[in-house]
Amino acid sequence: MLQELLYGLAGLAVFVIGLRGALLHDNWLLRLLSLNVCGAGVFITFVAIAYRGLTLPADPVPHALVLTGIVVAVSAMAMALALGRRLRSYDD
Amino acid sequence: MNDWLLLSFDILILFILLGLAWLTCNTKEIKRGVTLFVAFGLLLAVIWARLKAPDLALAEAIIGAGISGALLLKAMRDYTEQTSLSSETSRFYVWGINAASLALFVLLAWGLWHALERSDGVRLAENVLITTPESGVSHPVTAVLLNFRAYDTLLELAVVFTAVLVVLAMGTKQRDFGKGEPILIAMVRWLAPILIVTSGYLLWVGAHAPGGAFQAGAMLAAAFILMSMTGVRVDSMLNDSSMRWLLVIGIGVFTITGIVMLLINGHFLAYSKELAKMLILLIEAAATLSIAAALTLAYLGGMPKPQQKTQSAVKIDKTEEGTS
Amino acid sequence: MMINDAIVWLIAIPLLASLLSLVFPKKGTAIAIAGSILGLLASVALVYQVYQSGPITHELGGWKDGLGIVLRVDAMSALFIVMTMLVVTMVGFYASAYFTDAHKKAQFWPLWLMMVVALIALLASGDLFNLYVTLELLGLSAVGLTALSDNRAAVQAAIRYLGIGLLGSLVFLMGVALIYTAYGVLDLAMLATVVEAEPAAQLALALMTAGLLIKSALFPMHFWLPAAHANAPAPVSAALSALVVKVSVYLIIRLWFDVFSPVLQPTASFMLGVLGALAVVWGSWQALRAERLKLMAAYSTVAQLGYLFIFIPLVMAFPVGEERNTALAAFLLLALTHAFAKSALFLSSGVVLQRAGHDRIAELGGTARALPLTIFVIALAGVALIGLPPSGSFLGKWYLISSAVQTGQWWWIVVIAMGSLLAAGYMFRILGHAFGPDESIGKVMAKGSEEIPALILALTATVVLGFGSAWMWDFVNLASPLAGN
Repeated sequence: MLQELLYGLAGLAVFVIGLRGALLHDNWLLRLLSLNVCGAGVFITFVAIAYRGLTLPADPVPHALVLTGIVVAVSAMAMALALGRRLRSYDD
Repeated sequence: MNDWLLLSFDILILFILLGLAWLTCNTKEIKRGVTLFVAFGLLLAVIWARLKAPDLALAEAIIGAGISGALLLKAMRDYTEQTSLSSETSRFYVWGINAASLALFVLLAWGLWHALERSDGVRLAENVLITTPESGVSHPVTAVLLNFRAYDTLLELAVVFTAVLVVLAMGTKQRDFGKGEPILIAMVRWLAPILIVTSGYLLWVGAHAPGGAFQAGAMLAAAFILMSMTGVRVDSMLNDSSMRWLLVIGIGVFTITGIVMLLINGHFLAYSKELAKMLILLIEAAATLSIAAALTLAYLGGMPKPQQKTQSAVKIDKTEEGTS
Repeated sequence: MMINDAIVWLIAIPLLASLLSLVFPKKGTAIAIAGSILGLLASVALVYQVYQSGPITHELGGWKDGLGIVLRVDAMSALFIVMTMLVVTMVGFYASAYFTDAHKKAQFWPLWLMMVVALIALLASGDLFNLYVTLELLGLSAVGLTALSDNRAAVQAAIRYLGIGLLGSLVFLMGVALIYTAYGVLDLAMLATVVEAEPAAQLALALMTAGLLIKSALFPMHFWLPAAHANAPAPVSAALSALVVKVSVYLIIRLWFDVFSPVLQPTASFMLGVLGALAVVWGSWQALRAERLKLMAAYSTVAQLGYLFIFIPLVMAFPVGEERNTALAAFLLLALTHAFAKSALFLSSGVVLQRAGHDRIAELGGTARALPLTIFVIALAGVALIGLPPSGSFLGKWYLISSAVQTGQWWWIVVIAMGSLLAAGYMFRILGHAFGPDESIGKVMAKGSEEIPALILALTATVVLGFGSAWMWDFVNLASPLAGN
C-alpha cells in the first residue's frame, strides 16, 4: 500500500503540473508537451495502483490500458505536430 | 534493510520525476522543453520497470521517448529562428491557476486515499490471471490487449490510423536530412537490421513474455526512421498504393477476424479456443505492419510521391474561404 | 442473426468502409455512401430490436463478469444512433457534391467514416475505459476534419480544438483511474450496482463530468467552439454541431442517471442547469450579433446545448419512474430536433457560401430569389430552432416548461422564453436579409444533391419528430434501463 500511495500521489502531482502547464502556455508546442506530461501523470497513477508488492504479480489490466494510452498519446502528438507544421506553412 | 533501500530509491526517483515534469512544463524555450520531455520519457521507462510493468517499460522506451523524441526533434527544426517565447499572461491569471492546481492536487490526493482505502487491492487482477490460460496466450497483458479487451485495441489502431490520415492530409513532403556522417551511416547500417530482427522477436515473444504488436511495430518504425535520418530514401522503397494497403491491413485483418468469429461463435472477436493462439498472432503480425507504416509516415510527414509530380496538397481550396 | 447483431455491424461497416475508401480513393464516394446507407438500415433494425425486446447487450469476445467489454443499447442510445446515421447519410450525400476537388474528397472520406465509427462506438459503449478510447477517436477525427478547410483560421482552430479535446479526455481518464482504484471494475452496469456515495466516486464523477463539459462546450467552456465550427468545411460543421458535441452531453446524462445515481447531489445538478441557462442567453445573444451565417449557426449551437443542460436539474427532481422517463423523452426530442435542424442549417449555409461566395448576413439580399429552396430550408430549420409547432422542439420545450412548473423550478421558464425570443430574433434577421432587395448575387443554380439532403433533415426536425413524438414517449418508457434502475 505504501508504494501504491507514493507512486499514485506522484502521478497525481505530475497530472496537475501538466494541467497547469497546459493552461499557462500560449505556444501550442509547449502546451502539447504539458498535455503529454499531464497524460503521463494519469498513467503513473494507473500503474501505481496495479502494483501489488514484490511477491504478487501486478494487475495486468491497468498495464494494458496504459499501453493503449501511450499509443493514443503518440498518435495525438504526431497529429498536433502535422497541424502545427501546416500552420507555419501559411506564415512562410 | 532491503525495504529501506528500495524506499529510498523510490523517493529519489520520484523527486527526479517531479523535477523533470515541473521543468518540462515551465520552460519557455522549445528546445529545452523537448530535451526535458525526452528525458522525462526515459525516466518513465525506469518507473514502469520498477513497478513491474516491463511491457510498458519497453513501449515507453521505444514509443514514448524514441518515436515521440524523433517526431519532436523533427518539428523543432522549424523553430530555428524562434527558440524563445515571451508570454504576457497576467499575474492574476497565473496565481489563479496556481491556487486552483494546488487545490486540485489536494482534492485528488484525498480521493486517491479514499479509493485505496475502500479497494480490495485485487480488482480484476485475479480474474484475468485465472482466465489467461483460456485466452490462447500465456502473457496476461497480451491476453487483455488481444483477447479480453481486444475491442479497445481495435479502436486504438483506429486512433493511430486517424492520426496518420491527418498527417497525410496536412503534410507536404519535408526537406530531407542530407546524407549523414559516414560514421552514422556505418552505425545505422548494422543497427537497422538488428532493430528489424528485434521487432520480429518482440512480436513472437509477446504471446508468453513482455512484448507484442505495439512494441514490435514501433521498433520497426524506429529502424526506418533511423535509415531516413541518414539520408536513405525510405519512402521510395514503396509506392503509394502499397503504403495504403500497409496502413489498413492491421485494422482490416482485426475486423474481419472479429466478424468471422461473430458468425461462428455468436460474439464479435470471440475466438474459437483452438484457433485463439494462431488468430492472435495473425492479428498482431498485421497490426505490427500497420503501426510501423503509420509511425514511419507520421515521421516522414507525407505519402511517398514520384519526385517530379507537383504537390497538389499545397493548393488551397478556393471554395472555402475563412469565415471568422 | 444479422438483425440481432445490428450494433456490431453498425461499427464494423463504417470501419471497413473507411479502410476501403483509403485504399480505393477514386471510389471513395461510392464506398462511403453505400456504407452510410447500410449503416442507416442497420440502425433502423437496431431500434426495431430494442423496441421489440428491450435494451440489448453484446459481450465482445464472449467474456463475462467484467473481464471483457460490453456493448449496450437502450432506447436513448438507439435513438441517438438512428439520429447519427440519418444525419451522417444526408450530410454524406451533400459532401459528395460539396467537395469538387478529387484530392480533397480522397482526404475527406476515410476521416469522415472514422468519425462515424467513433460516434456509434461511443453511443454503444458500456465500459469506462472504452469510452475514453472512443472519445479520443472522436476528438482526433473531428479535429482532422476541421483542418480540411485548409486555411489558416481553420488549422489554427483545429489546433486549439485538439488541445481542448485532449485536456477533456485526460481529465475524464483520471476519473476512470479513480473508479478502477476504488471499485476494480470498468463495466458500467457492474459499477452501477456497487458504486456508493463516498469521496472517491464523487470526485471521479466530478472529473469525468468536467472532462465532458469541456468537450460539450458548456458555457463558459464554449470559447473554442465557434471558431472550430465556423471554419470547418460545411459538411463537417454540420456533423460537429449536430452530433459531436451532443454525444458528450449524452454521456453526461448516461453517467449521471444510469451509473452514478446514488452519488448525485442536487446542488451539482442545479449548477449545471445554471450554466446551461447562461449558455442559452449568452449563445443566443452572440448569435444575434454574429456577422456571418456560419458563425451565427455555431453560436446558436452553444445556446441550444444549454437547453439540454437545463434538463439535468429537472430530471433529478423527479423520482425514478414514468415521470422521469417523460422528462428524458423530452430531452431526447429536443436533442434530436436540434441535430436535424442544425445540420440542415449548416448545409444550407454551405450552399449560400459556395454560391454567393461569402456568408456575410448583411449582404445576403437576393438569396431568397436566387436560392429559394435553400432559404426555405433555413426557414424550416428556424422553426425548429425557435421551437414553433409542429417541430419536435416545440413539444420538447413545452415539456421543459411544464416540468419546471411541476417541480416548482419556475425560474427556468424565464430563460426558455428569453432563449426562444432571441432565437426568433436571429433567425428572422437572416430571413429578413435574404428576402431583402437584390444585391450582388446573380443567377445561380444549386444542384439537387446539395439542397435535397438539407431539406430532408429540416423536414425531419419540423414535421417527422413533431408528429412522431408520441411513439418516442412509449419507446423510452418501454426500453429504458432508467425505468427499472
